[in-house]
Amino acid sequence: MGNSILRTEKLCKSFSNGGVQQHVIKNLDMEIREGDFTVIMGSSGSGKSTLLYALSGMDKPSMGKVIFDGTEIQDLSNDELAVFRRGNCGFVFQSIYLLENQTVLDNVLTGALIVQKNSPELVNKAKELLKKVGLNEEVWNKYPSQLSGGEAQRVGIVRAIINDPKILFADEPTGQLNSASSRDVLDIFTDIHKNGQSIVMVTHDLKTALRGTRVLYLRDGGVVGDYRMPNFCEDDIKERRNNLTSFLEDMGW
Amino acid sequence: MGKILRLSLFNLRKNKKEAAAIVFLTLVSTMMLGIFAINLSKVSNAFDESFAKSGSVDTFISFSENDYRDSYREILEEDYGFEDVRRGNMINGFSTGVLHDGEKIAYNLAFITESENQKIDDGNIIESMTEEQIEALDHWVILPSFFKYNLRYEIGDEFIPVVSGRQYPFTVAGFYNTGLSNESGMLFKIIISNEDYRLLTPVFQEYVFLAFNSDDDFNYRDYFTSCMDESGDSFEGYGFTKEEEKANETKFLNLFLYMSITLSLITFVASIFMVRNKIRSDIEDQMERIGVLEALGYKGKEISLSYVFEYVISSGIGGVIGGIIALAATPFMNNIISVMLGREVVSSAKVYMVLPVVIGVIGLILIFALTKAAMVKKFPPVVAFRRGIRTHNFKRNVLPLEKTGKNINRRLGFKDSIRNIRTGAGVGLCIFLAGTTLLFCMYTFVMFFNGSDGLVKLMGMEISDDVMTINEGVDPYALSEELQEMPEVRMTRVTDTSLSFRVDGQKEGTVFSYEEFTDMEYIVPMEGRYPEHDNEVMISLRRSRTYDLEVGDTIVIDNQGVKTSYIITGIVGAMSNNQMNLYMTLDGFQRANGSAVPNCVEIYLEDGVNREEFEDKLISIYGQSVDTAMSGDNADGTLEERIQAEASEKIAVLMSTYGVTSVDYAVRVGDQLITGNSRQFVMKELQSYHDLVKSQLDPISNITRLFTGAGAIAVGVIVAVILGIIASSNVKKRRKDLGIMKSLGYSSKDLMTQIAISIMPVTVVAVILASAASIIINKVFWFQIFGADIKTSIPVLILTDLALIAFTFVMTYIGAGKIRKISVNELMTE
Repeated sequence: MGNSILRTEKLCKSFSNGGVQQHVIKNLDMEIREGDFTVIMGSSGSGKSTLLYALSGMDKPSMGKVIFDGTEIQDLSNDELAVFRRGNCGFVFQSIYLLENQTVLDNVLTGALIVQKNSPELVNKAKELLKKVGLNEEVWNKYPSQLSGGEAQRVGIVRAIINDPKILFADEPTGQLNSASSRDVLDIFTDIHKNGQSIVMVTHDLKTALRGTRVLYLRDGGVVGDYRMPNFCEDDIKERRNNLTSFLEDMGW
Repeated sequence: MGKILRLSLFNLRKNKKEAAAIVFLTLVSTMMLGIFAINLSKVSNAFDESFAKSGSVDTFISFSENDYRDSYREILEEDYGFEDVRRGNMINGFSTGVLHDGEKIAYNLAFITESENQKIDDGNIIESMTEEQIEALDHWVILPSFFKYNLRYEIGDEFIPVVSGRQYPFTVAGFYNTGLSNESGMLFKIIISNEDYRLLTPVFQEYVFLAFNSDDDFNYRDYFTSCMDESGDSFEGYGFTKEEEKANETKFLNLFLYMSITLSLITFVASIFMVRNKIRSDIEDQMERIGVLEALGYKGKEISLSYVFEYVISSGIGGVIGGIIALAATPFMNNIISVMLGREVVSSAKVYMVLPVVIGVIGLILIFALTKAAMVKKFPPVVAFRRGIRTHNFKRNVLPLEKTGKNINRRLGFKDSIRNIRTGAGVGLCIFLAGTTLLFCMYTFVMFFNGSDGLVKLMGMEISDDVMTINEGVDPYALSEELQEMPEVRMTRVTDTSLSFRVDGQKEGTVFSYEEFTDMEYIVPMEGRYPEHDNEVMISLRRSRTYDLEVGDTIVIDNQGVKTSYIITGIVGAMSNNQMNLYMTLDGFQRANGSAVPNCVEIYLEDGVNREEFEDKLISIYGQSVDTAMSGDNADGTLEERIQAEASEKIAVLMSTYGVTSVDYAVRVGDQLITGNSRQFVMKELQSYHDLVKSQLDPISNITRLFTGAGAIAVGVIVAVILGIIASSNVKKRRKDLGIMKSLGYSSKDLMTQIAISIMPVTVVAVILASAASIIINKVFWFQIFGADIKTSIPVLILTDLALIAFTFVMTYIGAGKIRKISVNELMTE
């Protein structure tokens, strides 16, 4: 097991809805380790996405601490959080969120150039990564509206990993994709993870969760189950599915 | 209709700040247009009302007593057919220093008795002491209304003319409404008692005036020519007509009102463009919502009407409030007009006066809103759901990021700028229009920042600290050298009394003549060179442009039928003397006027020298004026002093009456020998044009400063609001993109910088064009008004442009501050 890279202490997140406080995350203590592919699951409204945003510095917790690689990020200002995210976090969204007015290559470089200085090496790296996820040169100058959902999400992944983030966060990355595209995207995540990338992914999809090495199950604002799996391998997929299904059933999924 | 209105109100509530900005822009536009439109006619009416109230004849002309001939009156009655030509007397003191509140300012003054004044006007009193109070005063004056309204004199104040160092104190007993001669650039007609008139007669020169009602065709310059033709004499006369008085009093105020209306219109056009732009971006931004409304059964027409209502409601509120403020500003504007005209202004503003402006402003916004909101109908629900085809970008990728330099924010800002070139053009137009106005106001304000000092440099005449007019027989060159030796004196220059000559049968021009044009401080040729020979002349810019005269051309000067030709060697910007000046050497002047003898010495003082102390010194050395000495009013003090005064009086009479140029005397009283000579009468008159020019130019510079200063601030605020709307709309439109970029690690500052940078290309182009436009407008303005050509300093221009660009950047940056409120989480859960 790798070193602890991210942990929370008594993390709370609540929202005010018409004057009524809704406590979505309650006194959560958890830890993410380097090199893990952590999957966060839970029923609808269990606080999966809320936890992901709190862990990644996209949102501020109501109380408690988020310690990311030794830095307490809960008290940082919005701009400090933005600067913090640059070097530490990569994001892949369910809605993909590419910049509509930027080409594929520019979308990737927009993420890269806020962190790194422009150089031929950086541009080559972006191109290589795009090639690696199956997006060849003819796609690089296309705009998002000219791409399929799967292609767009692959651009989103490249944009997220171009800066070699300490953790890659993904929120239902296959939520808007058909099954073929979903498989392609998950294969990419698997490959990235094999190369040592720490990933934290929120999903409610079993196929997606199978790609992880650790599954955290959330209920009522707390982690109620923590299940570990070996690295993903197509060969033992059946057994892996059965075991995970069994865990999830135990969790009341 | 109810549901459309509800939709509009919902939009207004949702976009409170932007609605407030629209309210502000229409408010300011309506207010400015309203104020200036209401008051434009008021200036002319105020003069006419005041003139009518004064009971003044519409013309009076005056001649020095020595020049006047009875036949001149007959010419008016017989040749011109004017009835009731009244002859009277007044005494004139040109460029007379007046002490008031410890400050000495020079004016052209005319003193007149009550009975003589009745020949010109009714002496309609505005405010005065009681008769008993006036009777208790030793010396009283009734001043024209200009002193009350413009110069802020009050009853009981001291009014002290100073002549050759001697003070003549009066107490202000009242103010009256004078039709003619109520203008700082010409003459102030001041009513005094018969006794004081007699006392002042030896101090100032006495003039004969002829007052009458003329017709529109009457030209007193032609009349003077007829008089000279008739008598064969040459003289300098003065004329005052209602039309000239009105033009002189109202031209600057009218000019600035027209200018303000133009600036208001430019600002309004910029605001209209902004509103038009905003309607379009609002509709594009709310495309999905429009789709939902259409899907719910709202017709495209109803939705577009909701946008129209939204803008008509905002602009209606702004327009009505602006109109109300314009009406409420009436007393304030009355006060300004009253100060500037120096006349009483009492008029109330009527609602109908401002109504066309309010309706016009709201109407124009309605038309723009209807045109732009019609685009809603183009989008059926499905297209609207997809946010219209516009979001699908197939354009060529300009400024690809792989070629980014050091700064990604700059690159993304420029990229955004090129992508939104159409919006940018509208923004650029707004910045160009507002920038032109702002730069024009700023340049002009800076020009007048130090009061009239800026204008003085454009006079086209040398404004020395003192001008000493010398008596006949005194050698001006020897005196000039003598003065030059004084430690206080920096420079002296011999010149002649300026005279006006007709040129080529065209408008007459005042001649400025010097032995040689070296070390000139105010007369500087903008083209060509100074005259060096007696057949050379420089002319003013106005004359050059009016009569299409250029360097190398020849002009013919007509002096009483004697015609002399001169070659033009240079052109000078000049705002003095009808802007028709001529400049030649003293020899050249003598060619046109054979009897001319240099009789003035201009004195320039060293920095830090107290002018009044120096003038006292000159008076003590070169004496008082011949006229004052002749009055015999100096016989006080010791026996020696009384003898010296008596001797002075005798010498003055000899010099004045018999043309004696040099006298020495010695009187023995017992053992005491009292001696003296005529040296003390070297000086005939000591004047400071500097003060006179200042008193004439200060009202102009004040009004210019007021209008351009207020204009610059108003336009600055409007530019800030427009930029705020641009930035805010940009944030709203790009909300999603900005959220994505925040998630990628771009801070709010980065994104605000990008938005500010994105309008920089159009800003730079617009500011450069605005600079060029404002330079042209400035040049036209200065030439048309002052006959001067001002050169825009390149460093000042660059600094102003940079300041405007920086202002635009900062305002846009601040306006984009809304970004701070968009959290990434908000984006995700949108």
